[in-house]
Amino acid sequence: MVPFELLLVIFISVALYIAVVLFSYIGLRRMKRDVLEQGRDAKRHMYEIAILKEIGDRTGYSLNIQKILDVIVGSLNQFLEYSAVSYMLLSPSKIVFKVDLDEPVSTQFIKDIRTRMLSSLSALLGRELTETEVEETITGAIMQGIPTGPVQSYFNIPLVIGEQLVGVLTVSNTKPGLYKESEMEILYKIVNQASQAVTKLEEVVKTEQGKIAAMLESMLEGVVMTDRDYRVVASNPAAKLVIGHKGEGALTIFDFIDAFKGVFDVRSKLEEAIKLDKILTIPEIFFGNKYYQVVVSPVKSNVGLSRGEILGGVVIFHDITHEKEAEKMRNDFTSMMVHELRSPLGNIKKIGEMMRSSKVLEDKKASSEYVSMLYESSSSMLDLVNDLLDVAKLEAGKFGVEKSPVDIKEILAERVRFFDTTARDAGINLKLFVAGVVPDRVSVDTKRIMQVLNNLLSNSLNYTSKDGTVTVICFNHKNGLALGEEARAYSVPWVLDNMPVPATTIPDSVVIAVTDTGEGISIENIEKLFNKFTQFASSVRQSEHKGTGLGLVIAKGIVMAHGGVIGVGSKKGTGSTFYFTLPL
Amino acid sequence: MIKKILIIDDDKIFSKILRDGLLAGGNGKYEVVSAFDGEEGFEVAMREKPDLIMLDMMMPKVTGIEFLKKLRNEDWGKDMPVIVETQLSDMEKMNEGMELGVRGYIIKSDYSLDTILRQVEDILK
Repeated sequence: MVPFELLLVIFISVALYIAVVLFSYIGLRRMKRDVLEQGRDAKRHMYEIAILKEIGDRTGYSLNIQKILDVIVGSLNQFLEYSAVSYMLLSPSKIVFKVDLDEPVSTQFIKDIRTRMLSSLSALLGRELTETEVEETITGAIMQGIPTGPVQSYFNIPLVIGEQLVGVLTVSNTKPGLYKESEMEILYKIVNQASQAVTKLEEVVKTEQGKIAAMLESMLEGVVMTDRDYRVVASNPAAKLVIGHKGEGALTIFDFIDAFKGVFDVRSKLEEAIKLDKILTIPEIFFGNKYYQVVVSPVKSNVGLSRGEILGGVVIFHDITHEKEAEKMRNDFTSMMVHELRSPLGNIKKIGEMMRSSKVLEDKKASSEYVSMLYESSSSMLDLVNDLLDVAKLEAGKFGVEKSPVDIKEILAERVRFFDTTARDAGINLKLFVAGVVPDRVSVDTKRIMQVLNNLLSNSLNYTSKDGTVTVICFNHKNGLALGEEARAYSVPWVLDNMPVPATTIPDSVVIAVTDTGEGISIENIEKLFNKFTQFASSVRQSEHKGTGLGLVIAKGIVMAHGGVIGVGSKKGTGSTFYFTLPL
Repeated sequence: MIKKILIIDDDKIFSKILRDGLLAGGNGKYEVVSAFDGEEGFEVAMREKPDLIMLDMMMPKVTGIEFLKKLRNEDWGKDMPVIVETQLSDMEKMNEGMELGVRGYIIKSDYSLDTILRQVEDILK
């Protein structure tokens, strides 16, 4: 007899066993289902990646949404079951409607999806689209005359690029009950990724185009680009300026041809550049009061299969008016210099010729006149040669000064004494003011500083008329203070007008200035004062005032070599102050 | 009859040499007056009505060309013989002067008193 307890134990054991087996079975089934699901997910995922890769491969970096849709449509049957997949795409002139059939359907079926798609598009856009705009293409399974079922299942995905609706993609079936929203996730994903890719690509292209446009806009050179048929495809504001085009509209090649008539044949130069694949440079054209260097070049593609192919031509106008002016100034300077050297030389020769005749030598007065003329001519030549030599040294950066401590006050007093005779002859009052604080010893190149003083003093005396005053001023400058203020504190005459810098940044220095009550200098001439070319030219034209005109250019070089600054303030009708500083 | 020659030149040394040369070479046939810029030159020309003007083209204030234009506008000056002094490099001014009825040229850097005297004599004959 089996005891009851034993039976109970056996029963519990069996029950436990059954429970374990049962639970294990359920667990296994669940695992199996999970694995299968995972497998499907993986497969789907693989498909997604595959189709996206295919889209990428087959369309390249295309911006053509239709091409991309064709790729999607062509590979969709690996994943979805449908009778027809179709898209409707908005283009500026028409509505593209394309259907790809996986099985034969009736014409009514197609008409039906066409109507449905058009009305969803209209609803999404908020405006009525008409059937007449639609251009239809059907591919895939051949339609047969046999009537098939109507549209029973239908799913629409709007195509949005850059936040703009461009069309709809639709799958449809003759079988009912397909295409639940939740099942269409992958199709959504694919379409979304494709549109995102296009959107991003469009942005990139737009930014790049924007960059190029901005660059073109801001270029100082006039740029005109044409295609192979010489139609203008791009031009910038500078190009408009070159031909003086005032209108708003885009330029045509005829605007350029007409503008340059008789000066420069744009059309034939472009033709030459494009046909011969050659960059042409026209060194100089004179047009609209300006000089331009013109470059005409073929434009070649640098991407894809068409790489190296000539797409058109570009004409670049480079304004060289400034360079030409500078060149003219240099030439003027040279011929002026030659003239200034040749005139006294010619005179010396002629004086010799005259003196050879005994008549002149016999007459004592005439003879001494000729000797002093000889002296004058040769001195003016020597002055010029010396000045030119100094300027050449300045320009070569070989202008050196030899400084040693000297009594600057004594130098000033001596120069004032030297010029006093000239001043008195001209009826000009020559004064000297030296502030008590000026140190006894300042380190300068005496000879060179005397040269600066001579230049400033003779200029002032030259440009001051009878009964005027020329004052030589010397005081200490403190960094941070303005020279004009300091001069006022000493109650010395100081012309501030048109002085370019409020010279508070000048370090502690001795300031030496010459103020006159002369005719003053106009602003435009102040600018030219320290320029070699302009100064020389104007001095020749005003030859009533002696000097080569290079004096101030050299003075500036000397002062700078001492570490100082030179400047001027002047007012027409009042007078001028020329100052320079010697750092302490 | 003594002929009057006006020299207008801002180069005082050249002016003096030319004057001395003309006086000496002319043996008393010429009388010479001088002016040192175009403005003064015009006043002297108007006052003295010279038989010949020797004119420098490169002068301050009123240039040679400006002087010529002004001179040719006057009844007394429209046929007045003028010899201009220029630089070789100034072909432009020579042509301009030609249009204004200039009778002769002196290349300043390369003049010989003998040539000038012959030129002057030729014109004043």
